[in-house]
Amino acid sequence: MKNNQHQPKTILIVDDDLTNRLVLRALLKEAGYQSVEAENGELAIEAVDKHHIDIILLDVMMPVMDGYQAAKIIKGRNKGFIPIIFLTAMTDEAALAKCIEAGGDDFLTKPYNHILLNSKIDSMLRIAGLYQNIESKSKAIEEHNLQMLQEMNVTKKLFKKIISNDLRGDDTGLHYSMSPMTMFNGDLILAEKNQTSGLDILVGDFTGHGLSAAIGAIPMSDIFHSMTQKCFSFTEVLTEANSKLIDLLPTQMFMAAGLISIDRSNNVVSIVNAGIPDIYLYRNNEIVRTFKSKNIPLGISKITSQQIEVEMIPLEYGDRLYVATDGVMEATNKNGDMFGLDRLLKTFEDNSQGSELFDSILSNCAAFCEGADQTDDITLLELCHLENVHYGDDKEFKHEHCNPSNWSMQFSLDIKSLRQFDALPFIMQAVNQLQPLESGRTSLHTILTEMFANALDHGVLKLDSSMKSTPQGYMEFYQEKQKRLESLDEGDIEIIMSHELNEDGNGGRLTLVIIDSGEGFDYEQPETNKNDYSGRGLKLVSSLCTEVQFLGKGNSIMAYYDWDSDS
Amino acid sequence: MSVTINVSNENSTATIKIDGRFDFSLHNDFRKSYKDVNLENGEYTIDLGSTGYLDSSALGMLLLLKEHAESQSATVRLVNFNDEIKEILSIASFDKLFTLG
Repeated sequence: MKNNQHQPKTILIVDDDLTNRLVLRALLKEAGYQSVEAENGELAIEAVDKHHIDIILLDVMMPVMDGYQAAKIIKGRNKGFIPIIFLTAMTDEAALAKCIEAGGDDFLTKPYNHILLNSKIDSMLRIAGLYQNIESKSKAIEEHNLQMLQEMNVTKKLFKKIISNDLRGDDTGLHYSMSPMTMFNGDLILAEKNQTSGLDILVGDFTGHGLSAAIGAIPMSDIFHSMTQKCFSFTEVLTEANSKLIDLLPTQMFMAAGLISIDRSNNVVSIVNAGIPDIYLYRNNEIVRTFKSKNIPLGISKITSQQIEVEMIPLEYGDRLYVATDGVMEATNKNGDMFGLDRLLKTFEDNSQGSELFDSILSNCAAFCEGADQTDDITLLELCHLENVHYGDDKEFKHEHCNPSNWSMQFSLDIKSLRQFDALPFIMQAVNQLQPLESGRTSLHTILTEMFANALDHGVLKLDSSMKSTPQGYMEFYQEKQKRLESLDEGDIEIIMSHELNEDGNGGRLTLVIIDSGEGFDYEQPETNKNDYSGRGLKLVSSLCTEVQFLGKGNSIMAYYDWDSDS
Repeated sequence: MSVTINVSNENSTATIKIDGRFDFSLHNDFRKSYKDVNLENGEYTIDLGSTGYLDSSALGMLLLLKEHAESQSATVRLVNFNDEIKEILSIASFDKLFTLG
């Protein structure tokens, strides 16, 4: 009648007196319970091990082991909650208190009142039910947590692999600080060597929390590394990444990003700020330039590479660039105050040693937040423009099944092609497929890029490189380039490349000829004139090639690049 | 923190007012406020006059509203924001996506 569960509850009766057991057995049966019996404490413990027991009715005074001791042992085993109701003839308060102290949940004095017994059993079952409910829920939560932790560990490993392309160090000038947890707050730093042997660096900050932010980081990293390696310009990379993120991310998610591209052939930095705090250029102990966000974060609306607002500025050796995500400014102390822009700028001001600035910012920020809960989402990056950089071992592509061979190819690009797309990555890819250079992939990129830029800028577009002598002029140069490229009706560039194996087969000579439709120049005139025309880019080409010469009326250039498989 | 919406009688404008911090905790309330509103060719105005702070998830929520508005050929205008919020909106170049002021 009372027990309305499908499965009858099992109650353990522990009493050395047979009559008492018989009475209880009858009472419980009538109330709809199953019962199991034991004659003393020791047997009671065995019964708990053997059967599924819902409640124990436990006598106090018994031979072998008394009720107090049995209760202590049973409760001490922590096998879930089994309520114990002590059955006792004693009525003094101290004895009853001892029952509770031993682990009993309630007691019932003899002789039994069967109504009272049933009510106590009911009440205990209800408590046991609640307990089980909580236990099963907390178990589910625990399992869920464990699963999440495992997933996070897997993701962490995945992330480590993605960002393992680590170019940090005093040799490269790149330093950054990023806690492992930061990844799950959606901060991302990617770096890749570009064709001028400078670095292209992307600092990203996804909206949203946890793993959802990580989802966007994977394609982002893929696009960034593979396209930069293939010589695509950073504006192309950003355009592609933007459209990928639009497809992938839900409307409310996006990635604020800062991109720094160092052109080491010309010592110029290009910066795109799309939704992150100001990027600083620090020179001779002060901030000389602030790059504010001028672009919409990535993943919101379609853009073309021409719509990206890029700022360019010539660099001097020793210049330092700083990028921080909003975590630095929003680092909060225990009073709820934020580190803020003023404190950041003051750190710049107070510091007289550029080489210590990076550490100073981090330590000031940490000191400010001392005692507060660590939010762990501080991402700070420093890039120092060094005269000499060393990136460690180049990881060149290995094409094991492809042997060097003799070949030649020719590309003709008319003004329409020049206007519409950047042909270099495709040419470079074709060369990589045909000619797996063991080393010198980067050099070849540089040579091609510089020769091509020279033909386009000065040959076809007739731009004057002296424009680039001032910071202001630099921007104007590139704006003018864009303008002329769009308005010009004619012009073309021809690229001829051929490769010849060495006699021993361990290397070869690559011959590059680039002919533009421009007017050329008198390359036999004194050096100064030639330098005006060719700029720093071609000097770099000369240093990388065995021989460089101008041909025809000065609108053709030929370069020999020799390689061997041992170097 | 609260979100209130007032829709004009002619269904041409709706003003959504955000009190307090505009962050992820308002996600559901904000979405609920406009989800059944249809302003064909109208304008949604977000009144940030009593908004003390706005974070990046709020920017995301505004993008969701923009999507909702665009499906009705309606526009979104942000008004009455303080200087700090203005700075956040300008860093994200949201002036290119929304009408400000």
